Amino acid sequence: MKFKWGAALFCLSILVFGVLTPQALYAQEPQTTNAQTAEKTFNAAHFTLDNGMEIVVIPNHRAPVVTHMVWYRVGAADEPEGKSGIAHFLEHLMFKGSDGLAPGEFSEIIRALGGNDNAFTSQDYTAYFQSIAAEHLETVMRMEAGRMRGLTLSEKDFLSEQNVILEERSQRIDNNPPSLLNVKLSEALYRDHPYGDPVIGWRGEMEALSWEDAKGFYDQYYAPNNAILVVSGDVTGEHVLTLAQEIYGTFEQRPVPERKRVKSFDKPAEPFVTVSHPAVRQPTIQRSFIVPSYRQNPLDSLALQVLEEIVGASSTSRLYKALVIDQKLASGAGLSYRGNAWDSAELTIYAQPLPGITHDFLETAMNAELQKIAKEGISEEELKSAISRLQNQAIYARDSLTGPAMIFGYSLITGSRMDDVERWPQNIALVSAKQIQEVAQKYLMPDGAGFKNAATGYLLPAPPPNTEKEEEAAE
Amino acid sequence: MKHVLILCFALILTAPAQARNSVLDIRAVTSPNGIEAWLVEDHSIPVISLKFAFKNAGTALDPKDKQGLSRMLSNTLDEGAGELDSQTFQKELQDLSITLNFGSGRDHFMGNLKTLSTNKTRAFELLTLALTQPRFDEEPVSRMRKANQARIRSSLSKPNWIAARVLNDRAFEGHPYAQNSGGTLSTLENITPGDLRSFHKKLSRDRLVVAVSGDITAAELASALDHIFAGLPESSEIKTPAALTLQNQGKTYLFKKDIPQTIIEILQPSIDRKALEYSTAQVMNFVLGGSGFGSRLTKTIREERGLTYGIYSYLQDMNHIDLLAISSSTKNESAAEMLELIRAEWARMRDEPISEKELTNAKSYLIGSLPLSLTSTDKISGALLSLKLDDLPINYFDIREAEIQAVTAEEVQALAQDLLNPAHFTTVLVGQPEGLKNLEILSTIPNVE
Repeated sequence: MKFKWGAALFCLSILVFGVLTPQALYAQEPQTTNAQTAEKTFNAAHFTLDNGMEIVVIPNHRAPVVTHMVWYRVGAADEPEGKSGIAHFLEHLMFKGSDGLAPGEFSEIIRALGGNDNAFTSQDYTAYFQSIAAEHLETVMRMEAGRMRGLTLSEKDFLSEQNVILEERSQRIDNNPPSLLNVKLSEALYRDHPYGDPVIGWRGEMEALSWEDAKGFYDQYYAPNNAILVVSGDVTGEHVLTLAQEIYGTFEQRPVPERKRVKSFDKPAEPFVTVSHPAVRQPTIQRSFIVPSYRQNPLDSLALQVLEEIVGASSTSRLYKALVIDQKLASGAGLSYRGNAWDSAELTIYAQPLPGITHDFLETAMNAELQKIAKEGISEEELKSAISRLQNQAIYARDSLTGPAMIFGYSLITGSRMDDVERWPQNIALVSAKQIQEVAQKYLMPDGAGFKNAATGYLLPAPPPNTEKEEEAAE
Repeated sequence: MKHVLILCFALILTAPAQARNSVLDIRAVTSPNGIEAWLVEDHSIPVISLKFAFKNAGTALDPKDKQGLSRMLSNTLDEGAGELDSQTFQKELQDLSITLNFGSGRDHFMGNLKTLSTNKTRAFELLTLALTQPRFDEEPVSRMRKANQARIRSSLSKPNWIAARVLNDRAFEGHPYAQNSGGTLSTLENITPGDLRSFHKKLSRDRLVVAVSGDITAAELASALDHIFAGLPESSEIKTPAALTLQNQGKTYLFKKDIPQTIIEILQPSIDRKALEYSTAQVMNFVLGGSGFGSRLTKTIREERGLTYGIYSYLQDMNHIDLLAISSSTKNESAAEMLELIRAEWARMRDEPISEKELTNAKSYLIGSLPLSLTSTDKISGALLSLKLDDLPINYFDIREAEIQAVTAEEVQALAQDLLNPAHFTTVLVGQPEGLKNLEILSTIPNVE
């Protein structure tokens, strides 16, 4: 049985592959020539319209269906000071009327055509998608284009949707102590970098958002030159290009603000945060490190992806073997790394102590596993089998309609190039045991004064009621 | 823009009339020893997915003092078999990128194997070992017990999980369905390797159903079926749980919890998936709350009033009971209003026929969205297995379309008048709802400790 207790940390298979998204290799790598000639993973086509909108097409003819996605290069981390939540709120408002469609009608039409639609917002991007019979591609494209430039919205719909996002915040965060810990941990880790604010927003700021805030954000960022269209399924590149030229190609390019994020990573993270809550019966420890994203450092990112596979991806990984099977300190343990971010990425190591095991004890054991890698490195056999498993994941990734569209979307929108995705299996094979030891030394070890780039969170059973509640402090 | 869309609706309506190929090319394959499987052959990607179930060997068979037994069996079958101990077995699966796992629902015990076709021989051997020579060594059994106990303790901070525990306990009172499929903190302690061995004997060929998709031929599959399953016992005795009607109808239970929202879970009686009116029920549910966006519940409660992030209704077909469920959450101050609005939608569905547009849209979605659920190797094998478990015919995906097309607004209203009745709601709330009377307050979460 594979244990997947950390749902909030790594539940979706897409995200699992996402962590592994490939990136560019440098010219000095001797194997690059071979990699260039080898087979591409997805055989996707890439175009750019005159107005700057990028297009990716991933043909897959197994079923007569398509996934159509538009990704905007804007997310929660691009929000103006004091307006947390506006990127996600705008994503909701995009369903409340556009270009001749009444509120709610967008999704209603998609359903009536036998399709599904939705949208999502992260720190770095906002994306909208529909999955539907291939014959309706043009219709959904026209509707999505209508939303790119023709958002209409009444005061009444704005207000009712504001209540929806507040309910969403309650459901996602305020009802759940583990989510409260994640919020506090990000805040501690990133200090004044915007990654420290929750994507959904701080409640007080969410309540104060105005229609002008949403409209202003939309006008600034929703331009064709700030968007990537990704279509996967029963289509050809040429067909999609022809449609996109006709439909999205008519929009004028517009200036979009340059991405300027506060750089506060030099400031050490607040080292420890705790959520104690009466509802908690099972404690958890998690430590998050700020490490390079793929965009920042492709070689280190690839090495961290292999490190994740060796240390924490499964029940035969080092961490689970050491803490759960051999030392019997924890009921679950793992390590996860997501390399797809515009700024820094995050690596998280976590464990659930068994009854009677103290935090200090478990934490020491968790550290010892990372220290072992930093000091002794890994064996060639471990490296070889980890790489082969990761390459197999690339084959499985093709066995999906929406999965490949997701992979290209979040990779390109966070700065990867087409080849980084297509040739990831070849690139990951170039990671050496020495590189893995080096990234462990460089990013995962404390210096004399503790961890500069990490914050550790504890989820604990609470003192009895009446005490000041911790989740309120998070606000 | 509008004109384009209207044109599309017209196309949708005419499309089903055209003759066309089957939705899926499903073949029934029978092995030399008489083991049958449904197969969708597809060589476009080198992946094979094999899913199977042992019918009626689910968690409903767990003894009360050993709740979680069948789940524990599903956790430990892949933790060592034959000569291979737990870590050796798991490492081989990992190294070959084979997914092998088991699961146990209320009704059925399930298995799932996914492999690259290059590794299929070894994948089938490992599955055969797990099914026929599981070891149940003390170390992995104890480790899985502790992991399940940790999962229960973790879940205790999740209000939706608490609501599910209360709902099962009240709605299925007196029936094995009321038990906790994942076990309780104490019943998990009672489960021994001997118990696992004895439950394992229920995994017999007379209850086996198999569905396969991907890069394998019918001939290869026929011989694999014998290799994997022929060593299982021919048959097994089980004590079939009694039929069940929804318990505690008309009652509303509250488990008080200091959170900003009230979690709302409602069950009411419904009809069987094999019933003639099932297509009518699907249309009704779609219009009511099955579609998320665009459904009446979502429109009234989320889009117009902003009372919730999500409200859904869905049909639940189990061996011993058929239900219509509603699930949502709202701020504590709005809980009474939300329940009132749900009742109003129930009344509207009974009192007037759904509109022509609602009927058309529901049919188009139910028919047109089917291919979206068949876009990967394991989604296809999963769909086949679900047909087999419900005893539906091999051409069901093709005849289903005509059945849905035939549904009328009058039939939907007639079914609504038969079925939809708030007096038959069994309701569970978790939170601190305001403005509600006649609540039965629960002070402990059932089937946890």
